[in-house]
Amino acid sequence: MKAAPLLQVENLYVRHPVRGQYLEAVQDVSFEIPEAGIVALVGESGSGKTTLAQAILRLQPAASGQVKLNGENLLAMSGPRLREARRSIQAVFQDPFSSLSPRRTVLQTLTEPLLHFRVAGRRKCEQMAAEALQAVDMDESYLQRYPHELSGGQRQRVALARGLVTEPALIIADEPLSALDVPVQARIVELIRSLRKERKIAFLVVSHDLSVVRRLADHVAVMYMGRIVEYGPAQQVLAQAAHPYTQALLKAVALPDPKQPPPRVLDGEPPSPLTPPSGCVFHKRCRDALERCRHQQPPERSVSGSESRPSQHRVKCHLWDD
Amino acid sequence: MTSMTRVWSQLSRDRAGRIGLIIVMFFLLLAVGAWIGLVGQGWSATEGGRWEPANAEHWFGTNILGQDIFQRSVYSVRTAFEIGFVVALCSTLLGAFLGAIAGWYSNRWVDDGVLWLKGVLDSIPFYLFVAAVAFALQGNPWAMHLAMIATFWTTTGRLVRAEVMKIKSSEFILSARAIGLPDRLILWRHVLPNTSHILLVQATIAFVAAIKTEVILSFLGLGVQDGVSWGLMLAESTQEVLAGHFNNFIAASAMLFALLMGFNLLADAMQDALDPRQSGL
Amino acid sequence: MTDPTRQAVLSVRDLDVVMHGNGQASRVVRKLCFDLQAGEVLALVGESGCGKSKTAEAIMGLIPQRSGTVSAARIELAGSTIHGLPEAAMRRIRGREISMVFQEPLTALDPVFTCGSQLAVLFRRHRGQGRSEARASSERMLQQVGFADVKRVMRSYPHQLSGGMRQRVIVAMAMACRPQVLIADEPTTALDVTTQAQVLQKLTRLGRDAGTAILLITHDLGIVAQYCDRALVMHDGRIVEESDIGQLFSAPVSDYTRELVAAAQGVSL
Repeated sequence: MKAAPLLQVENLYVRHPVRGQYLEAVQDVSFEIPEAGIVALVGESGSGKTTLAQAILRLQPAASGQVKLNGENLLAMSGPRLREARRSIQAVFQDPFSSLSPRRTVLQTLTEPLLHFRVAGRRKCEQMAAEALQAVDMDESYLQRYPHELSGGQRQRVALARGLVTEPALIIADEPLSALDVPVQARIVELIRSLRKERKIAFLVVSHDLSVVRRLADHVAVMYMGRIVEYGPAQQVLAQAAHPYTQALLKAVALPDPKQPPPRVLDGEPPSPLTPPSGCVFHKRCRDALERCRHQQPPERSVSGSESRPSQHRVKCHLWDD
Repeated sequence: MTSMTRVWSQLSRDRAGRIGLIIVMFFLLLAVGAWIGLVGQGWSATEGGRWEPANAEHWFGTNILGQDIFQRSVYSVRTAFEIGFVVALCSTLLGAFLGAIAGWYSNRWVDDGVLWLKGVLDSIPFYLFVAAVAFALQGNPWAMHLAMIATFWTTTGRLVRAEVMKIKSSEFILSARAIGLPDRLILWRHVLPNTSHILLVQATIAFVAAIKTEVILSFLGLGVQDGVSWGLMLAESTQEVLAGHFNNFIAASAMLFALLMGFNLLADAMQDALDPRQSGL
Repeated sequence: MTDPTRQAVLSVRDLDVVMHGNGQASRVVRKLCFDLQAGEVLALVGESGCGKSKTAEAIMGLIPQRSGTVSAARIELAGSTIHGLPEAAMRRIRGREISMVFQEPLTALDPVFTCGSQLAVLFRRHRGQGRSEARASSERMLQQVGFADVKRVMRSYPHQLSGGMRQRVIVAMAMACRPQVLIADEPTTALDVTTQAQVLQKLTRLGRDAGTAILLITHDLGIVAQYCDRALVMHDGRIVEESDIGQLFSAPVSDYTRELVAAAQGVSL
């Protein structure tokens, strides 16, 4: 019997009003995050991944759908219930230059969520702040510093410390590695892995970088134009990508080995979100597009599964529909 | 680095700024001295003869009523600082508050309301408006101050609004919203402190503008009522100059010029120091 | 290694750059020497802060006097010195003989002019073309960087285009005058994977067709491996290794290079 997932997103829609029309930023997205699981949300600019993450955090309103935290719909909560839930889901943002408040010391930044959620008295909160810093491999002397006195990697670690100081069940990290140098990235990856193992914190990692998927994720959801086009166990999706877009993404990467095949270019542009194409949203750029793809939206199908053991690997593509 | 340390380090490099600071400090000491009763106390005494030239007893001579011009000049420093300080503080605070809520709730009714108010105030010819308010509140010792505050806040408000709109989408603000911090707390703790560079510079500008406006108001008879200021002295001196007595005029103009010059030098240095693009903030 | 029989189109010897920031002086580039051969794609690789961008800015004469001091025994473009030229002379060369593409496409394009007009201006000013001829040349150039709806791009303002599209417009502008040298400083760091492939493919292809030598500055070893002919590895202001791509990855000479390659391969797909 599989354990109930920590977070379950069901049929989520997010719309932005733009000049009288509606822009469908997130369309019918459903996926789940198991307890202490690491799920990567991968997509390029305009895919809606950041909007999705912000909708889960209730930083943006959802048009419809549910986000269930331990079975309860987060989007319907208010008051003290919402406050409790907010304590369980923390956010870590990507830009180490603007993710920390410039006029606040590290100590103030770390204790702010604790004091806001009234976790404990001031003294205890300061202690918890110091412990959170230790967990990210930084010592107490950093508590009195201001963000501009820290390097990019250090700022990112402080942001991570702020994310775990309230002992959340889930941390949503938006591009946690992209602004960092390679050696620093390795430390953050290690950190995330150990936090998952030791503190049982689940992670939703939003990224455009596929190597993040390989290094960190258990599962990956690939987004294109507001929709999840493929979802499955990370290793399986990387090794046997089912959706043409995922395949194109993988083939476009420049590998640091001249003996590896050169990147293959995915021609064209993502269509304007205000005028999405009919049928499958990817069909204009897809090498294997069928006639069907131009008229019908693809249904969700399982990849390499069987009746008795349905696979966790799912894809929305007509090529798999037969 | 906080704003103050940036200003300090800029001043250590900027000679003109240093001179400005020294001048302002000097005048500040005079103002404090006058306020606590050390200097300039004899500004209203009409002991001297009429239009005495500069002598040992009256360093700058006397005016038509036999009042000591030197004493009056020094006491006016206090008046100038008082007006400048009150107007600068209040207009900056008002501008910060209204600008911040307009920027935070931009494109909603709050913003529209503040912008409308700003538009109305800005389209009224400045001195006309100040004079009208001062006239309407005649007799009230704060008439002049209120008039100036009511008009000066708009510039600060506009700048703060723009800055807040920029800051609003920063990730540290997103972080604060993500934990559910209420808007007013976010504005107070995270947004306003990041506008301090604007507020500091605007306050200095308002200070200078207040002093200059007081001069004009005094010419219109709407300035300082109980006390003496350079504006009043200048207004008085228009008659005296025609009779060939320049001491009043020279004393008031020279001191006014010196203080304003000092402030301008200081304000320029501060602006250079706090310009976020120049240094590494 | 460097082929002595090929003409060096850009030659740099003993380049030193000292930056003055906040009263402190720091040497960010130390005695740099290299040659860029005609038609090749040369990578300048290193981690952030190693001085690679400052090297490019120094060559282009873009470091203001009060920010830093540039000194060199030689900076020559096709045999003639460009180091120490007065600003007016440098301005004539920039864009025509030696172009630069920056990382941030947003600030490189003027927001108040359409892309078409910004591109056309280059043809008019540097190639003396008339208005309609310049427009035709601009449209051809945009086609070459892979735009399908060329007319639309010509009419668009920079903010109406996506990051990748803007960067391609900039590549078009940089290559418009078929310069001898193109310096691209992290041109795709801010872009998605698929867009990066698009931009780099177009850039290197255009360069090969026009005979332009490209100095590609990057921290991404994947880009070095897949798009470049030779590489210079930079660390702390100095060049620590210079070799062909094949050798760089199979038999690096310096330890630093070895570490870089190992780290990159460790984190790649």
